[in-house]
Amino acid sequence: MSSEPLLRVENLKTQFFTEAGTVRAVDGISFEVYEGEIVGLVGESGAGKSVASMSLLRLVERPGEIVAGEVTYKGETLFGLEDGPNGDLRKRDEMLSNEEIRTRIRGNEIAVIFQDPMESLNPVFTVGGQLREFIELNRGLSEDEARREAIDMLREVGIPDPEQRYEEYPHQFSGGMRQRVLIAMALACEPSLIIADEPTTALDVTVEGQILDLVDDLQKKYGTSFIWVTHDLGVVAEICDRVNVMYLGEIVEQAPVDELFYDTKHPYTQALLESMPRPDRTVADLEPIEGVMPEAINPPSGCRFHPRCPDARAVCKRVHPEPKVVADADGEPHRAACVKHDVFDVGYDESPPLEGAVDGEGSRRTDEPQSELAANPAGDEPGGDGGE
Amino acid sequence: MKLLKYTIYRLLQAIPVLIGISVITFLLANLGPGDPVSLMLQGQEHSEELVRSIEQRYGLDRPLHERYLTYMAGLLEGDLGQSIHYQRPVADLILDRIGPTLLLVLSAYAFALATAIPLGIVAANRRNEPTDHASRIAALVGVSTPSFWIGIVLILIFAVKLGWLPSSGLIYPWRPPSSYPGISGHLELYYESIRHLLLPMIALGTLQMATIMRVERTQMIESLQGEYVKLARAYGVPERTILRKHAFQVAQLPIITIVGLNLSTALGGAVLVETVFNINGMGQLFVEAIQQNDYQLVMGVTMLLGVLFVVGVIITDISYAYVDPRVTYGERE
Repeated sequence: MSSEPLLRVENLKTQFFTEAGTVRAVDGISFEVYEGEIVGLVGESGAGKSVASMSLLRLVERPGEIVAGEVTYKGETLFGLEDGPNGDLRKRDEMLSNEEIRTRIRGNEIAVIFQDPMESLNPVFTVGGQLREFIELNRGLSEDEARREAIDMLREVGIPDPEQRYEEYPHQFSGGMRQRVLIAMALACEPSLIIADEPTTALDVTVEGQILDLVDDLQKKYGTSFIWVTHDLGVVAEICDRVNVMYLGEIVEQAPVDELFYDTKHPYTQALLESMPRPDRTVADLEPIEGVMPEAINPPSGCRFHPRCPDARAVCKRVHPEPKVVADADGEPHRAACVKHDVFDVGYDESPPLEGAVDGEGSRRTDEPQSELAANPAGDEPGGDGGE
Repeated sequence: MKLLKYTIYRLLQAIPVLIGISVITFLLANLGPGDPVSLMLQGQEHSEELVRSIEQRYGLDRPLHERYLTYMAGLLEGDLGQSIHYQRPVADLILDRIGPTLLLVLSAYAFALATAIPLGIVAANRRNEPTDHASRIAALVGVSTPSFWIGIVLILIFAVKLGWLPSSGLIYPWRPPSSYPGISGHLELYYESIRHLLLPMIALGTLQMATIMRVERTQMIESLQGEYVKLARAYGVPERTILRKHAFQVAQLPIITIVGLNLSTALGGAVLVETVFNINGMGQLFVEAIQQNDYQLVMGVTMLLGVLFVVGVIITDISYAYVDPRVTYGERE
């Protein structure tokens, strides 16, 4: 692994200021993407994966706003705040302006493949015209050169008859073919990083397989890095090098892909793995995660996963765990944010189990955490400010 | 080529519609109360013989279906019958009067489109800001105020109080300047023509403007939230280009429909506006025809309005097929 990451995200926070309150969609995530690797961003719907990936390009729409953190790409500050003279936060001088982000980063440095191939292409323009426009814009080519490039790219992603298909409209393409067009679009702009936001979710399984193979091949050929946003651990296992598991705006586990699957540290990741359909298990054997993910507008206290966690104890309700290096895989850290791995600090082992938590009654059992708090007054420290 | 085939196909489809219109108007005009003969002879001493001879002359003594077939046969030759009141061929009367009406309706549409589309886009782009609220109120007023009332108020303000613009009549730019006293040269003719047209155009166009503006706003808002706009943004397309090209093109499709379908409202409105501004167009002809129970003229005008409406719908369909690549020209893929 090379020394400097291509992209470094530190403590990124994106919030939506709605009438019902502040939605903390992304709440202090940190991760890196190195050159030539595919990094997974995994989680259930609503975990904040898409918002996190759009924040990198500063494409969060109102009422959403990036409120904290730092995003560095190839040494340039895509987002960064610093303390102003009056103690308030202000944008750092070296942070790229909106215009610079638009002309220098979007498309030509970081490209996006969106989730819904049916809706992502403009219905009233030809596929070729849209491809050509983006190539012209991001690579400064003439119309003819961009056209040639577009046709080459369509061929490259496996679209038959690219010259003829170039002139056709999106509705004349199948879902899988449209997703190939979107991949061609991303690659044709020659970015160093591609954010793929659930690109295969809307496709059926056979097409998904083809697309994953295609991306795998092209990634090797072009050496482009990917951030692969998905809820599907099967996809992660197939193509990712490293994985970040997100839950309710936070990254709860971060590890190289084999580590994550064979040495799972976080109960949430464990639960996700157990809820996955597998050929050797019937539907009845599946163990779905109990309950639904709470709203990010009012996240649970302590560890955000504790109301659904099979391993939750009283302490989990109180202490907000920070990501800690819990193992080391050939020099690559394996991080998890779970008090189970903070045994000495917060006293997980002594803490009584939250038996009712999983079936939804745990939140009413307030007496035990109280006594726990009294017995272990120092216990809050590692959790600190994260949960409030 | 595909488009040409589609056009012909749509024109053929219009034939049964037009036959339907002719049957209904013929029945309504002939079975309605009021007898044209007694109206013609109003106040005069008349004998049974005179009545019969008039009936014979206009073919009123024959059975209804025969009269309908005769009428339709004439129609195919461009003969719309004879106006009882004017004692002139209906076709001639219509040709005389259609110019001012078309001028009025088309300029009202031009006014509506030229104002409504930019306003709608601005309102969409500044959603829930003061500009948007102002445009919403303007649209509400525009939709709920009858065109004749707008016309009267415009006359009161701009013609009576301020004296800036004429209150009645039209100057037709296609006639030679010499046909108007006090106008010398083409430039002055065009200038006067526009001055006369302004108030009736606004009176008739306001309703269209309000409707189109609201639809444009809704469509632009929807279009701006489209995934393709997100994609364009993610690829660094400037916001202006997104507004003018990516979002705009998709948003225009329903506008075409509105314009086509509202043609009937506009023609109906023209009747009132022509009356208010004393314009000698189809509207006034129609009102007179009804007042005089001139059934041949009523039928002629109704048929023409029907044809105009059908043509409007066909043009809508064709331009839709032209603008939206997803319309399949009624063929199976």
